[in-house]
Order: sequence, then C-alpha cells, then structure tokens
Amino acid sequence: MLLIHCPYCDETLPEAEFTYAGQAHVVRAQDPSSQDDGQWEDFLFMRENARGPHYERWRHFHGCGRFFNAVRDTVSDKFLTTYKAGDARPDLSSLLEGQE
Amino acid sequence: MNAPVPAFSTDASAGTSVVRVTTAAPCARLSLRARGELGPLEAALGLDLPRRIGARAEVGETEVLCLGPDEWMLRGPEAVAPTIRAACDEVYKTHPMSLVDVSGREVTFVIEGTSAAELLTLGCPRDIDRLAVGEGRRTVFDGATVVLWRDATDRFRMDVWHSFAPHVFDLLATGCRELAAEAA
Amino acid sequence: MSQYRVSGRGRVDTGKPVSFTFDGKRYTGAAGDTVASALLAHGVHLMGRSFKYHRPRGPVAAGSEEPNALIGTRRGPGRFEPNTRATVQELREGLEATSQNKYPSLKWDIGAVNDAAYMLFSAGFYYKTFMWPKNFWHKVYEPFIRAAAGLGVAPCEEDPDHYASRYLHCDVLIVGAGPSGLAAARAAAVDGLKVVLVDENAEAGGTLLSEPQATIDGQPAWDWLASELEALKAAGVKIMTRTTAIGYYHQNMIGLCERLTDHLTDVPADTPRERMWRVRAGQVVLAQGALEKPLVFHGNDRPGVMLAGSAQTFLNRYGVLVGKRPVVLTSHDSAWYAAFDLADAGAKVQAIVDLRDHVHVDLLTEAQRRGITAKLGYTASATSGRLRVSSIRVNPVKGGDVGTAERIECDAVLMSGGWTPSLHLFSHTKGTLAWDDDLTTFLPGKTPEDCVIAGASRGPWGIAAALNDGAEKGAAVAAALGKSASGKTFAVEADRTGSGITVKELPTDRSPGKAKAFVDYQNDVTAKDLRLAVREGMRSIEHVKRYTTNGMATDQGKMSNINGLNIASDALGKAQPKVGLTTFRPPYTPTSFGAFAGYHRGEHFEVTRKTQIDSWAEENGAVFEPVGQWRRAWYFPQAGEDMDAAVGRECRAVRETLGMFDASTLGKIEVVGPDAVEFMNRMYTNPWTKLALGRCRYGLLCGDDGYIRDDGVIGRLGQDLFHVTTTTGGAARVMNMMEDYLQTEWPDLNVWLTSTTEQWSTIALNGPNAAKLLAPLVEGIELTDEAFPHMSCLECTVAGMPARLFRVSFTGEIGFEVNVPAPMGRKLWEKLWEAGQQYGITAYGTETMHVLRAEKGYIIVGQDTDGTVTPYDAGMGWAVGKSKPDFVGKRGMARPDLVAEGRKQLVGLLTEDRSKLEEGAQIVFDADQPVPMKMVGHVTSAYHSDAVGQPIALALVEGGQGRMGETVHIPMPDRTIAATITSTVFVDPENTRLKI
Repeated sequence: MLLIHCPYCDETLPEAEFTYAGQAHVVRAQDPSSQDDGQWEDFLFMRENARGPHYERWRHFHGCGRFFNAVRDTVSDKFLTTYKAGDARPDLSSLLEGQE
Repeated sequence: MNAPVPAFSTDASAGTSVVRVTTAAPCARLSLRARGELGPLEAALGLDLPRRIGARAEVGETEVLCLGPDEWMLRGPEAVAPTIRAACDEVYKTHPMSLVDVSGREVTFVIEGTSAAELLTLGCPRDIDRLAVGEGRRTVFDGATVVLWRDATDRFRMDVWHSFAPHVFDLLATGCRELAAEAA
Repeated sequence: MSQYRVSGRGRVDTGKPVSFTFDGKRYTGAAGDTVASALLAHGVHLMGRSFKYHRPRGPVAAGSEEPNALIGTRRGPGRFEPNTRATVQELREGLEATSQNKYPSLKWDIGAVNDAAYMLFSAGFYYKTFMWPKNFWHKVYEPFIRAAAGLGVAPCEEDPDHYASRYLHCDVLIVGAGPSGLAAARAAAVDGLKVVLVDENAEAGGTLLSEPQATIDGQPAWDWLASELEALKAAGVKIMTRTTAIGYYHQNMIGLCERLTDHLTDVPADTPRERMWRVRAGQVVLAQGALEKPLVFHGNDRPGVMLAGSAQTFLNRYGVLVGKRPVVLTSHDSAWYAAFDLADAGAKVQAIVDLRDHVHVDLLTEAQRRGITAKLGYTASATSGRLRVSSIRVNPVKGGDVGTAERIECDAVLMSGGWTPSLHLFSHTKGTLAWDDDLTTFLPGKTPEDCVIAGASRGPWGIAAALNDGAEKGAAVAAALGKSASGKTFAVEADRTGSGITVKELPTDRSPGKAKAFVDYQNDVTAKDLRLAVREGMRSIEHVKRYTTNGMATDQGKMSNINGLNIASDALGKAQPKVGLTTFRPPYTPTSFGAFAGYHRGEHFEVTRKTQIDSWAEENGAVFEPVGQWRRAWYFPQAGEDMDAAVGRECRAVRETLGMFDASTLGKIEVVGPDAVEFMNRMYTNPWTKLALGRCRYGLLCGDDGYIRDDGVIGRLGQDLFHVTTTTGGAARVMNMMEDYLQTEWPDLNVWLTSTTEQWSTIALNGPNAAKLLAPLVEGIELTDEAFPHMSCLECTVAGMPARLFRVSFTGEIGFEVNVPAPMGRKLWEKLWEAGQQYGITAYGTETMHVLRAEKGYIIVGQDTDGTVTPYDAGMGWAVGKSKPDFVGKRGMARPDLVAEGRKQLVGLLTEDRSKLEEGAQIVFDADQPVPMKMVGHVTSAYHSDAVGQPIALALVEGGQGRMGETVHIPMPDRTIAATITSTVFVDPENTRLKI
C-alpha cells in the first residue's frame, strides 16, 4: 500500500483513502465538435504506457474529495511529486535530480 | 444474501471498561460548500469557517469542520438548521454557496475510553495519533467513508452514512470485546 | 523425566508437565516445549513422511525454517490445521498432533514404494512421466497425482475461530529480537521515538536463547536478556513475540502475523486466534540473523540427521539431547561448539568430522579435552538406519581423491554447511543482493526502502558482532529520523566467533548418480536432480527451480536455495552471481487464510448496505438480492409461493390496484449553485434550460465516448437546485464522474454536488389507486393531473413528515416517489402500508420492478446496455439535446462507428412458442446456417408477463429497429427458439394508464 501526499490536505496518507483516476493532462477540448475523428480518438483512447515517471491523476476519495495530479515512477512505484489539478506539469528533470 | 446481517438499531451501544461505543442523539448536519470571498457568508452565519482541512471551529452549540478546500460540515442542535439556512439564503444572491441538509444521512458513534484510539486502528489505515485533539478528518474505516472528530485523547465521534452503520458498528463492537479481552 | 531430557538445561519448566498426543499415543512434555522438542525428549525423531518418496523424516531444524516435521494439529471440531511445523507449534495441554503423508502408519507406509521407484520421480518427472499414453491421463495419472500431491489434508469444516487485524504506525520497526535486534531497539528508543520489536518465536532473545554460556557486559546472557527486555519496555518499546513479519511492501509497510492462542491450553473468550498487523514504519531494521545450511550427501535426510545449531538449540533452549551418541559433520566452526555443548550435557560425541583440512587449534584443544575424536579432511558418503540414523559412513579426502570408507555408529548426525543470511524480507523490498566470495553467499545490497540490515543478516558472526552492529544500526535509524542517538559497544565473553567454508554436494567414493543427497527436503529434490536439469538444457536458475521444484515448497527454499544455487552454478560452469538467485516472495512463512481475511468473513465478509426499510422487509419475509453493496428486497413470497408465483402476484397488484416499493437505494445528488442548469446541460444528454420549477425529466448520462453510462429522473426544485437521481449501482460512479468534470474540466462553474442518497428514504407507490392513497396524506397540493401532472416534483409534507414528492412512474401505472428524511423512512412505510390496506396494498421487490418496467420498455442501465450502447441504439434519441453546443458524449456519438449502419439496437422479442428466453442467449438471423453461426445480438431481459399474457424479452439485435415483425432465432442446447421482433413497449404504449 502506497503513501500518497494530498496537495490539498497537505498530508501524506495511506493509499486506501485514494482512488486512481487515469493519466493526467489529457485535455478535453473546449469545443469537442471542432475535433476531427482522429483527435477525438486520441482524447478518448490513446494513453501512454510509461515505464518510469508517469503523469497521472488520483482522487482523495475518502478525504477532501479533490482530484489532483501526480508523477509516479511505474517501476519503483514511488511518487516523485503530487500537485493540484490545474497546476502546470512539473519539470521532470528537476524531479529526477531531487531523487538522487 | 439472506444470511442474517448483524442487527443494528439507532440506539446501539457496545463496550467495556476500556472502550465504549454509543450512538449519539440525532442532530442537525449541514453540508456547506462555498469558495472565493467567504467574509460575508461568515458574517451572516456568525462564525468563522476554518480554512485548513481538518480544522474545527465552534460557536455556541454549532460546530464546523473543514472537510475540503470548499467544504465544511456544520452540526448543532436540530433547531439551528433553519437559522443557518436563513443566513445562507440572505447572502446567496451575492455570494452563492450550497447548503444541503444531510441530517438524515448519517449516524454518529461516540467512541470513548482508554482504548478508543486503538479501537479505530481495526479499520482505519490512517495514523490516529496524528489526528490532533480538537480536529477532524474524513477518512475510511473498514471500507466505509467516515468523518472522525477527535474531541479528546480518548474520545472520538465517527459520522457514518446510515446504510454502512450496521457494518461499521459490527466491527466496532467486535473490537470492543477484543480490546476488553486484551486488557483482562 | 523423559529419556533425553537433560536436567538443569533449557528454559522449559519440567515442573509443569504438559500432556499431548502424537498419532494417538500419549506423551508428556514440559511447559515451554514445542511439539518437536517434546517428542525429541522421548527419543522420537520420526515425525513425518516426505512429499514425493514418502521417506521417513524427522526435524532437521529447530525453528520456522523446518522443512520435514510437518504435522496436523487439532483442537476440537473445525480446529484442525495441516502442515504445522512441529518445531514452531508450542505444546499445550491436550494438543492432538498427527503425522502426515503416511498410510497406514508412519512406520509402515505404502507410499514409500515411491522411494524404490526413485528413477521415475527425477527432475521434471511431472513433465515426462505422464505424457503417454494419452488416455491414461484422466484414468491413471491425474487420480494418482491428486492422491499423492500435497502435504497435509485440508480441513473441510468451517473455521470456528476469530481472526483480527489492525493498523500500526511506528517510527522504527525492528524485525528479529536476537542480539542485533535487541541492541538496535535499545539504541533507537530515544527521544520519544515509537519503536516496535517483533520476533516470530515464543520469546525474544534469538541466538541468546541457544547460547547461555556467553556473558554480556558482565552478565550471563540470559540475565542480560531479562534485564534488557525490562529496560526496553521501560523505554516504551512495544515488544511482540509469536509475531512473524510475513511480507515487506511498498514504502515501509510490513505485514505481521501475530499468533495469539495456538499455544494456550484455555483460549479466553473474544481473543482472536491470529491478528494481521499492517505496520507503517518510518525506518525498518531487519535483524533476522542467518539460517544454517545442511550438507548435501547420501542419506542426509534420515531421521536423526539435523543441523548442528538446531541440536544446540534443542539442548540449550529446551533441555533436550537429540542423541546420546552423535557424530558432528561440518564445514564451519559453529558445529564444533554444538559438539562441545552436547558433550558437556552428557552425550558421547562419536567424532567431529570436518571437511576442512585445518581448523583453529583452540577447537582441537577443546575437542581433545572432552575426548572427542576430530577427523579433519573427511567427507560423509552415506548414512544408514531404517527409521533413524544408526551409522554414518565417512571417508578421508586427499587432493580430491576420496579414500576408504569407515563406518561410525551413532544415533544422530549434527551437520553444518555454514550459515546463510536471512534476506527474504529484504528481497521483498526489491533490494539487490551482492555475492560475497569469502562467505560464499549473497549479502544485502541496495534497497529502495528506508531499511537497514543489522547483525548476521549482513555477514558479521558472533554475539558481540551482532550486538555492536545492532546498536550502530539502531542509532543510525534514529539519526535518520532526526534524533541524536549513539550505539554503545558491548563486551561479550565466551562468544563463539568462527568461520567456515561452503561446499557443494560432498565428495563420495560411490556413484553420484545413485546418491540420494537431498537439497530440498520438503520437495524431495536431490543434487542429482539439479544436475540432470542442467544436462537437459535448463540454463536459468528460474528454469532449474521450476523443472526440479527446488525451493518451491512451503518453506520457500530457506535451506535449499543456496545449496541449490551452488550445485547448479557448478553444473553450469558459471559463478553464482552469474546464475543468480530466484525471487523470494511473501509470505515469509506459511500464513493462514484466516489471518489474511481478518474480520472479513461470514456476515462481515464485505460491506452490506441496508436501507431504513430493510428491517420491515426482513420481518415480512422478503428474499433479498445483492445490488452493488446494497441488499435489496427481491420479492416477498407468501406461504407456499415460489418466486414466479410471488412476482406474478406482486405485478398484478401494481397493475390492478396498488404496490409499494423501497426505492431508497437510488442514488441522489443535490446539484446547487448559480451554474446548476449549465452544469446539467453539459453533463446530461437532455436539455435542462427550459425545465420549469416543480417539473422533472428523465435524464440520460453518457460518457465522452457516446455510450450510455447511467440514467434517472431529475427534478428541478429551485432555479439553482436540481434533485438528481441515479441508478442504485451507479450512484458512486456517477458522483465521481460529475466531480471529475466539475473539478478538472469546468472549475469555473459555480455549482456544487452533494450526495443525498442516504439523506432520503424513498418509497415508490404505483398502481391505479396510488393517488387515492396518497392524496389525503399530502399537505399543500391536490394530487390531480392539473395541479400535479405526471413528471412533477414538490417539497411538501406527507403524513406529517417533510417530504420531496415526485410524480414519476417506472411501471407504467400512476406513480409517486415519496422522499422523507431517511430515519423517517420506516415510519412512513408503515403509515402507507396501513392506509393502503383498503386498496390491498402489496409490497413488491426488485424482480417485480424489473418485470413492470420491461413491459413498458424502460431500460436498466447495465442490463439492457453494456457500455457499448448509444442513446440511439437504445431507441432514446429523443433524450438527446441535439441543439446544445456540447454535452458529455455529444462528440462521441458522432464517431464513425457510432453512426454506422448495422449497429445493435434495442428491440422487443416475443417467442413463437410462448416460452421464456434466457437472458444472455445469442441471436441469429438464419437458424439453418452452418456452425459457427453468425451471432447478431443477444437477449438482455426476459420475464414472464401476466399483463402481456406471454413471456416478453428485450434484446440487442443488429439493425433491430428496422426489422420490426421479422423473425430471429435463438439457438439453445436442446432446440432453437423463433421469436418476432417487436417494439420495446409491450403495455399501454399511449401511456393512458398514467392519468389520474
């Protein structure tokens, strides 16, 4: 069971309070009708299958209820960081530097 | 599915000298959601809304617990609900919010005794020691979402949705017996 | 006193005799004994038969690593446990123990013919022996394997014991309460740090329990241990014995299994048998010591052959001599001390046979002083004795040549092939292992966890080394937690430091191909099997493991892995680190299912949610069905009724007069805020802007892929207030989806969602008399078509209770849903029940609800849809607000596949033979086509229908909406059923019955 830092509660808490919510930064177009079939297919179905750092979403379901973003290494299962929904995608190289 | 599910009534209680679980009397519970400028709302309500998740405030018999960045649980005697409702209605036009009466949604277990915190470790993966006296949190207990209020080192309240109450109470009662046997 | 008990030795209390039985025979042991030590005290070594060859076996170890002495234990009905290690099971009064893998008796076992058929069972025998003839598989091989496989017999009664679980958070968790663990705990217990020290044994102390000769800081080891434990308790350290760390999981979560009652004669009420602790620790110290390696030679499994260190433990901890005339066979100094201890306790040690040519002179002096012959540079080539070792055959080895054998009479062989650091838990962390050429073993490398290894687990040998390393590591973890701590240095006398060499299978003057030199005792894997596997092409250690089953038994290769690796790497001609070690996986030792299940069994197996009206249903004989986590009243059978009869009666009551239904489980969401209507427009397919206050509408929720996700009636109770209902099973999912869009796609919307599913008890009243019943109870509105038309909603008072009243129908009859604050639900139900008696009111369950809605063609999301059905497929294009600029699913519905011809569409079916179809049955257009037929859809719902006069069905059929009146076929195992495609609405298509 992982430990996850909720950026809203500012607490590091057991995974059992959280639910996974898929890849992060998959943006739903402002006007979906303007999307061609290929673009909409990408939005709906195409996901990364990262080996290593992965941008993903979690929800503090049994807690503050907020969706937030995280960078988790899919090999070590360690969270490099978590950040609030809407915040910019953090720079990976600086996160990885912090690791070693 | 026809196996008898543990009996549970709204006055259920269990316990021993080390920890007791009782069901609290019904009260008013209001879920308040708001964001942005909270001052006018606080003025209308006559209470401060704590900004930190988990923090509590109290005015008279009304208690407030911050559950999320824009969410508070208000609780008090049943009579306060209309007053709070009226205060919110008053500022809604200029400072919209959501105030939903959830008095009927949940039941509160009072858990007290020297082993109260230990009892919670049966189903709560959080570190109970890190829940400070005078604070509260929404968390999970044996699969059910609950709100824990820590009133003293050895006294908690646990708000549970009604339908989960039999399941949760069953485990709490089992735990009371287990802890009593341990203390013996 | 028993024959082999040594007075004045051990920590058992011979003044407290404990009586037990083994295979029906009564024995007496002492308080503090294990089953193994108690039997050994009576000279009983034979405790079981092996898995494959049914060879007689006795304990080879004294602890949890024991592979041989597996027994069944019983404490009354249901309380039987197979495969218990006799070396771990503590004695209790009246314990019934039985041996395993034998018939008719342990001494005369028919299965032992397998031993003679040895060649049949060599490496890979599973893959070779049973290949042909093919028809032998079912009749001969499989029954044989099933009868022969497995160790003990699984219990078949329900386990009457309780199991428990808890979470525990601490700063430092120390696994292993031997010298290094104790010292680490003492060093780490500073400045309020919460320290937990666990040990799998009945008492803390580890090696110290087996080495009372040592003195620590001037105190005899056992006195030091007692005072140290007191000091640790005083320092606030939580000490847990009989507690095994079974697994090391992410971010310092460790699973502990605590055994609470198996050692007790009388089990106190309300005490669980075992408790699983889920521990989260800031820092972990693994101080698990080392496990002794057996030596691999012909006959090394004969009862009486055991590890020297274990013999020492049996003597010093339990006061038992495992033999009176033992021979010691070793490649490590430690076994010499075992020889000395046994000699000092009165055993006549026949010889110390050491594979090394030279040992330290002090050892030779000590041996000489005790009159023990030392044979250096010797190997062992065989043992003999039927059920117990009676002699050992040893040969000198010079320059690789094995000389002439001599036979030494003995009643025990104490062997030591050196020590292997116990790194199982460390491996669970994905920690790397580093090969150490000097120690010929793997030592811990790097781990991603906040975890350090202390003591013999990382190589140091001897009590002083363990204590000092433990203290240093304890201080280090405290420092890592920001506390200043320093480890002290211990002064130890009579310490037994030493070293040794590692060997493969011992050299022999006989044919190695005929040697039964066991590497894995529990799975009966020999050195020859490993070499055969390599000859037959296995190159990876993982393949060798699976081909031979080495290390795959319940002991997970605690004794066999390193010996197996040394032999396999020799056969492969590669260095050990190039061959690598197989993976250790949790649990460290076998763990009961009960401990894993904890409280989650029986009634508490999973959360069962109940409505406020559930108790009434139970009292009135309802049969329940699970819907998500809820249990719902399925139907209410009366005396003599089966399900069909009950459902038929309930359906008729609703169509003819009045039925009531507990709809409280429907999901409810309060949508509040100035942007409520905008949010609803974006979320649901339907348009909401023009929905008037006090009116409601059926809403359809899709995913962005254009497929139906959920549905429900939604009422507008205020300009900025919607009362949304969802399906029972979809409530949490829908709320999650709405929050997702609101928080992450449309954070600008000023609207909030609150789950009110459980705020309300919801009672549905349906039938021609519904309005008549309700009208006198409702204040503030006339229940007429004019004042309160179909699809209206209102906040009002019903029977004196504050209510939200909806006029909706999921049955096609006049219908109302009354919502009152949940705790009032049962009161309202009873009032309506009482008031409804004049109309013959009938309580109905979910099955009747399903029939009535199907007669009207109303879908159940998840039954008539499966996640690939669009609103158009379901015939509900009318619910799609086409002029809205966007809503969830709008773009998806325009995807090429979703607008293509030939999609499966929802239709009604009526069978020509008036039989009821089976839900899930496949549909074909042409019944005469060759198999495999082209399937064009399936039946989604099928019921008997009194109202229609014949069974009805809903189905998804390719292009179905354009095939009205056509015949399709449903092939079943016994026949093919023809059915006509119809509209989905079977009853009252004009909705005339909805009028009051």
